[in-house]
Amino acid sequence: MTFAGGSTALNGALLEARNISKRFSGLQAVGGAGGLSFSVDRGALVGLIGPNGAGKSTTFDLMSGVQTSDTGSVLFNGHDITRSSTHTIAEQGIGRTFQTPRAFESLTVLQNVVAGATSPGESLRWAFGRSWRSHETATVETAEAILRRVGLHERAAARVGDLSGGELRMLEVARQLVRDPTVLLLDEPTAGVHPGLQERLAQLLQDLHRDGMTLVVVEHNLHFLLALADHILVLAEGELLAQGPPAEIRADPIVISAYLGDGDVA
Amino acid sequence: MNWPQLLVTVLTLGSIFGVVTLSLNLQYARGGMINFGIVAYFAVGAYTYAIFTQPPPQGLDQYTFGFGWPWWAASIVAGLAALVFAAVTGWPTLRLRGEYLALTTFAFAEVFHSLLLNERRIGNGTVGLARVERPFNDWGPVEEKYVFAAAAALLLIATLVTFRRLLASPYGRALDAIRDDETAATAVGKPAQQMRRQVFLISAVPVGFAGAFYAMYTTLAQPSLFTAEVTFFVWIALVLGGERSVYGAVLGTVGLVFFEEMVRAWPFETVRSAQIAAAVEHVVTGLVFIAVLRYQPLEAAARRLGTSR
Repeated sequence: MTFAGGSTALNGALLEARNISKRFSGLQAVGGAGGLSFSVDRGALVGLIGPNGAGKSTTFDLMSGVQTSDTGSVLFNGHDITRSSTHTIAEQGIGRTFQTPRAFESLTVLQNVVAGATSPGESLRWAFGRSWRSHETATVETAEAILRRVGLHERAAARVGDLSGGELRMLEVARQLVRDPTVLLLDEPTAGVHPGLQERLAQLLQDLHRDGMTLVVVEHNLHFLLALADHILVLAEGELLAQGPPAEIRADPIVISAYLGDGDVA
Repeated sequence: MNWPQLLVTVLTLGSIFGVVTLSLNLQYARGGMINFGIVAYFAVGAYTYAIFTQPPPQGLDQYTFGFGWPWWAASIVAGLAALVFAAVTGWPTLRLRGEYLALTTFAFAEVFHSLLLNERRIGNGTVGLARVERPFNDWGPVEEKYVFAAAAALLLIATLVTFRRLLASPYGRALDAIRDDETAATAVGKPAQQMRRQVFLISAVPVGFAGAFYAMYTTLAQPSLFTAEVTFFVWIALVLGGERSVYGAVLGTVGLVFFEEMVRAWPFETVRSAQIAAAVEHVVTGLVFIAVLRYQPLEAAARRLGTSR
């Protein structure tokens, strides 16, 4: 399904959750009585906030196929992806990072990023031939450019075991960017990232947003997020507490009492 | 000691078991699957070869089928049979991981062994199928055992080259990614389940060929040849050689076969000395294993052979 119109204009829901919910051994992680519903517009930069245990990461799991929703459905581009496998969802264009950064430890930093792309040489049919080599060369070039963009180009040959926690997060973002996803779900991208790298990350997210990528960001660093996002979803105990533009959320008394506390988010 | 004979034996058996170790290396070190029932796939190859080459049953034979095919056709069928067997056993077991998969594959192999033992219509039960056809009998001037050793070595090299080529491609990298972190790999579009199944199937084929070669070598397909001991033998070879390299698998196997065959071929002067040697053998084996694992000479050699993989 294609959407008409400019790339950054908010022209309809790209990603939609309809009454989704998830229970883990009796504990309701996401969705209360009616389930959780929200939508993410094409080209939007949406912030997903909420206290610990609000169900933010589980929501990401449900949207990326890592977990399957107990009820309702997840729609991407109008297609039901509720029960699709993680790898098909990734192939369709939803990328994600994880709260605890994940990496392929036996590969170098550059290879980690290259492995993010899907190569024709990954199918048994072509692996024995040589036809994938030109694709590989192009992917390596793209990966190197992305590493430069996230500030990891000097670490390209390093083993991932030698990276700091912050660098691992950037590596995860890089591994998704090489796929050029339609939607990118970022789970706490600034956690453990030093301030210099955070600035670079903010710049990167702004650039991606301007280029038309749809972004959903879970973040505890509200200074960082409220400055970037154009729409905020507030989650508490698995349910949508409030949503709106950052300015509205900052002023919302329910949000302040439930989450923001004494209004320390000036 | 008869060194030429020893070397031919080591080359032949080392190549046959080297193929099995290589397949195990692909399944375990790259695919992340623990197969403790690898002997079953080896046995399938051997029995298939025997059944397809032997004449139809006569006299006291209790087996049902004997097709009398030429050795090369039967060898191909042996590889295919191992593939089919892997598909059948892989379908229910590959959902399991780690030690659960290890136990299930072990159980499968035991069931299969028991089937060969008790169902006489397959291969005469405990008696097995004797006089399995050996090819290369009429190969002119070169003695048959040398041709056979060369053929076994050729199978090993072909397996090595094929696996290396596969693993050096993006396919191999995707496998590494899946083994390192399956969730992260699926989040970048790698079909983990499907690729693991493919690796399980691909690696079974050379094991089937090796089984056929083993049947030719021993001219016998008998349940007692295909016990869990074979599984443990190749696992030990893999551990000794180092799991991270295809060369390690080969060196580990050849080293282990060499050690065993040397002990067997040692010319003892008296019965008494042979008895003492037999008693000491296991102690020495243990000490050699400890030394190899401590200093990892085979793994180091494998690394020099083919940097990292």
